Amino acid sequence: MTTPRITIAVDIGGTFTDLEFRDAVSGRSHSLKSPTTPDNPARGLTDAIEQAGARFGFANDDIALILHGTTIATNAVLTRDLPAGALITTEGFEDVLEIGRHARGDIYALKGPDRSVLIPRRHRFGASGRIGAGGEEVRAIDFDALDAVIERVAASGVMATAICLLNAFANPAHEIAIRDRLLARCPDMAVSCSHEVSPEIREFERTATTVLNALLVPVIARYVDALRLRLAEAGIGAPLYLIQSNGGAIGLDAAVKTPVKLLLSGPSGGVLAAQKLARRLDTPDVVGVDMGGTSYDVAVVSGGVRSVVTQGEIDGLPVRVPMVEMHTIGAGGGSIAFVDPSGRLQVGPRSAGAVPGPVCYGRGGTEPTVTDVNLILGRLDAATFLGGRFALDLDGARSALRDRIETPLALDPDHAASGILAVVNAKLAASIKFSLFAKGLDPRDFALMSFGGAGGLHAVEVAEELGITRVIFPRDPSTFSAHGILFSDIRHDLSRTEILPLLPESADALAAMAAELSAQGTALLDADGMAAGRRRLILTADLRYAGQAFELTIPLPDGHITAGTLAEMRRRFEEEHRQRFSFDDPEEEAELVTLRLTAVGVLGDGGDAAPDYATSETAVAKTRQVHVNGAWTETPVHRQLALPPGAEVAGPAIIEQEYTTMLLPAGWVLTMTPSGDMTARKDT
Amino acid sequence: MSRPDPVLLEIVSAALVSVAEEMSVTVWRTSRSTTVRELLDYSTAVFDAEGRNVAQAARMPVHLNSMELCLQHVIAHHIPLEDWRDGDVIVTNDPYCGGQHLPDFIAFKPVFRDGRRIAITCVLIHHVDVGGGAAGGYTASAVEVFQEGLRLPPVRIVKDGAMQEDLFATILQNVREPETFRGDFLSQIAALDVGARAMLRLADRYGVETLEEIGAALLDHAEHEMRAAIAALPDGTWQAEDYTDPEVPGGEPLKIAVTLTVAGDAIAIDFTGTAPQARGPINATMATTTSAVYYAVIAACGVTATVNAGCYRPITVTAPEGTLVNASFPAPVAMRMLPGHKTATAVLKAFAKVIPERIPASYYGTTFNHAVNIRHADGRRQVYFDAELGGWGAHPEKDGPNGLAAGFHNGQNTPVEMIEALFPLRFLRYGLASGSGGAGKMRGGLGIVREWEFLAEAGLLNSAFDVFDTRPYGLDGGAEGAGGSLSVTRDGETVQLAAKTVGHPLKAGDVVRMQTPGGGGHGDPAARAPEAVAEDKADGYV
Repeated sequence: MTTPRITIAVDIGGTFTDLEFRDAVSGRSHSLKSPTTPDNPARGLTDAIEQAGARFGFANDDIALILHGTTIATNAVLTRDLPAGALITTEGFEDVLEIGRHARGDIYALKGPDRSVLIPRRHRFGASGRIGAGGEEVRAIDFDALDAVIERVAASGVMATAICLLNAFANPAHEIAIRDRLLARCPDMAVSCSHEVSPEIREFERTATTVLNALLVPVIARYVDALRLRLAEAGIGAPLYLIQSNGGAIGLDAAVKTPVKLLLSGPSGGVLAAQKLARRLDTPDVVGVDMGGTSYDVAVVSGGVRSVVTQGEIDGLPVRVPMVEMHTIGAGGGSIAFVDPSGRLQVGPRSAGAVPGPVCYGRGGTEPTVTDVNLILGRLDAATFLGGRFALDLDGARSALRDRIETPLALDPDHAASGILAVVNAKLAASIKFSLFAKGLDPRDFALMSFGGAGGLHAVEVAEELGITRVIFPRDPSTFSAHGILFSDIRHDLSRTEILPLLPESADALAAMAAELSAQGTALLDADGMAAGRRRLILTADLRYAGQAFELTIPLPDGHITAGTLAEMRRRFEEEHRQRFSFDDPEEEAELVTLRLTAVGVLGDGGDAAPDYATSETAVAKTRQVHVNGAWTETPVHRQLALPPGAEVAGPAIIEQEYTTMLLPAGWVLTMTPSGDMTARKDT
Repeated sequence: MSRPDPVLLEIVSAALVSVAEEMSVTVWRTSRSTTVRELLDYSTAVFDAEGRNVAQAARMPVHLNSMELCLQHVIAHHIPLEDWRDGDVIVTNDPYCGGQHLPDFIAFKPVFRDGRRIAITCVLIHHVDVGGGAAGGYTASAVEVFQEGLRLPPVRIVKDGAMQEDLFATILQNVREPETFRGDFLSQIAALDVGARAMLRLADRYGVETLEEIGAALLDHAEHEMRAAIAALPDGTWQAEDYTDPEVPGGEPLKIAVTLTVAGDAIAIDFTGTAPQARGPINATMATTTSAVYYAVIAACGVTATVNAGCYRPITVTAPEGTLVNASFPAPVAMRMLPGHKTATAVLKAFAKVIPERIPASYYGTTFNHAVNIRHADGRRQVYFDAELGGWGAHPEKDGPNGLAAGFHNGQNTPVEMIEALFPLRFLRYGLASGSGGAGKMRGGLGIVREWEFLAEAGLLNSAFDVFDTRPYGLDGGAEGAGGSLSVTRDGETVQLAAKTVGHPLKAGDVVRMQTPGGGGHGDPAARAPEAVAEDKADGYV
């Protein structure tokens, strides 16, 4: 019997299931796309694996590992296709979930906003007992009263229950007692406790996250069952891991307990790939942008490490679990250009979406979009769009632009069209600048990495706007997420909130917290069956000046925790604070709020998998009229897959491939790397 | 109307809003008090070289729509623009110099390029304490502004880039929480600098003349949209009134009378008939009143453009001096949100006669600011400041949301766990007040109940509440929302407290309970859909 050598990454999207695998023996990787099977996505997954095995010659026994990015949790939330649930809170706090944090978005609206409360008041129940702010028991649970509550939960007919008690992050004893009692009465209930899902201070965020988790448990449990069944039917015995929002992998049993950690599973693949490619191209500071039809996602890789935040939001719902940091704005190929009632030109965030889509799709769209403008300016080619499978209506796009923009604003067609692009590019640039600003970083120190179908036409102009002089285009943006997933490791994020002064005398307390977290992390890696040499435990601390709202996450120095550790943490904190906010305050007290442990189980062999690249198309000399650098220019059009490694292309130029088109303005030079990725540099 | 290139206009406009947003993020992430970091009681904006507001970070309408009034007042009466120097920061908290009440410190920084003033950045922060008779600045017993705390006329706190340490030390000596104040104030200065640097980058990129031209055009465009929205309303004159609670128990509610006149593309709001100014601190100066009117008119007109000073141009606000909404020096004004909110609801009530299909019933009616001076057994002192909101009024097409910021205020609540971690309080309840929403075809949103036990040795409770005696109005047959209340229970005995309580003594074990009003209902309750009635019942909302 041979050692299994194949690591497979599968990213299931709405239309395609993308697969990339790496052969540890040859060091090579390959990718393919196959159709997604919405009725049972697991079937699409095994189909793709079977196809890959047949095409590239490996058997099921050769598969060592499968890593899987999924949008199952995300879609369930976006469509609110969630089971009915109940919530048990500390008595008197049943409405915290509904009250939220009060602030509204649109400050001049007189009609109230739609608030999404996932559990109605009739299914929110208060339990007796109280834990104090320091974790002390203030009042014991009255078990007779609790049993009455549990009877009401049982009678409500729900499948899932969230338990979130005040200060449970400081002492989970009451949550555990209630859970045990509830499970004894309702053994099939999916129960989530806040001290396990999000053991941090601020009750609303913890409650909302725990509720979302509880409602997702049945959804993910069903999916995991389907996956296991399908894998067994297909005769695939290799272990399968899911990709979490933090970019790390998690085993199926653990994933079913904390499905809320899967919400950004899909997008995190792209960020992982950006991080990998940044390292491969020796460009540690990269801002990754994913531009699709309706949105523009910005993620930051700084010093070769993706930026992870401890809280995010999905569809207006707060989710407090570690996730790749992503700043999203509503700007994409489908963004609509219009003249507002005050007579100003606006682009987005309203989008033509997939239906009716841009005017040029000829599906009934009447308002000009960014894609229409790219077509009008010759940046997109009606003949080669999506491999030429799709006829584009250039005249329709032109007349929409004339009626909606040129006439009301008295602009000539070129100015109107290039103006719309300038406005949208300025928005994209602003969102990047803002993402970096919040960290005290300067865009000019970064390279821009563009993936996503609509980004290639905008990336270099956006870079110009920001003073960025290097732009990276991955070889195959259409399977980029799967490529990133391929390099994922197991990752468990654990945390413990306890406010401690950042002073030498806190060393013992900090050491005790660290020991407790390390024991938990070790237990999780034991359960994953991770060998000792494949484990890493990384401690970080959220620190702030006493009383600040937001903490900076600072890595702990290696080694035993002593008084010196605290002094070094203070020094690092001050340095980071200066970097981000341009001031520090050595006289002010600082404090630790949350200690975090990331337990990593290394899955790969550390080898890279730069996919083989060789030209697969023949170069054909071709030009077309493109509006670039402010004028119509006869511009060379290259096929990406006809450019050999080392080839250089000087702007202005268009580079086309099946899924995307890239624009290189004058003053930029693009180089094909040996791996088939492309880097464009400003010619200085 | 000046007509710069429409493309450049959008690009620079977005860049100006980004400047305000960058300033906002800086405050948010570096400030110290729960007032700023959890309640988000601050705002940031950018002005052109002449002090006209061109960009705002969407935050708190009450602040944003008054910053320009303050700046113009400072320029006209205190420090003329030609005396503003590069490296200055000018700050004031004086309601009689264009401010609203003493806790709000409004700081301005002029931005210069090659000796020429090109912009002014502004950051307003509500500071946790400002001295005076009660912690947090809400001295209910004050009869003069002098009793409300430290009053700073427009002064240069930073000169030639250097903090005026003598002045700063003087301020810190006069507030209860000097460390917190200092942290928040430094964050305010840092944000002004961030804004100034960003404006300089824009000037380098687009040129000073272009920036000026675009600033002017942005104001013109906003004015244009505002005028178009007003022109779509029928011409005429309408009157409405709303009330704050009586100043003393058993007295008469204080009337805010509004006359709304729509003439072509302009609107005039006059307050003739409004009650005379109060003896205590429930007065407003014109900065507050005008800001409430701007909020209500912009909201009622449904203007969607980026709000800036151009929106204000078609609006005229007049109020007789010496009234509740235009108090004369030295009237105390700490609780200016009380007449301020009612100014907004009175103006909206007038609009309900013009465009009934767009105007909701009254929301909860004030911001429930409260504070406790805390003394611990070891002698340590603390100030706990917090704010609560209530239910929205029902809209003709929709129920009012429960417990959500409304009107010309906007802010977050403070998490109970954060309060308990920092202050000697233990909460017993934080929830919706069942039955508090006004009945109607569309139901008013529910108010909120919060109840906590005091754990420290001694404390003094201060509140700046309203709508205990008056009620949020319903419209079109909808019922009023329920009113608010405040009580303390000691040793099993409950005492009802006044809406404006000053220095009520607390000791360990006392339980404080406050309830905020629900919103008014809209339409005949009998016409409410049966499913909605059933759901309300199942969820215990009624």
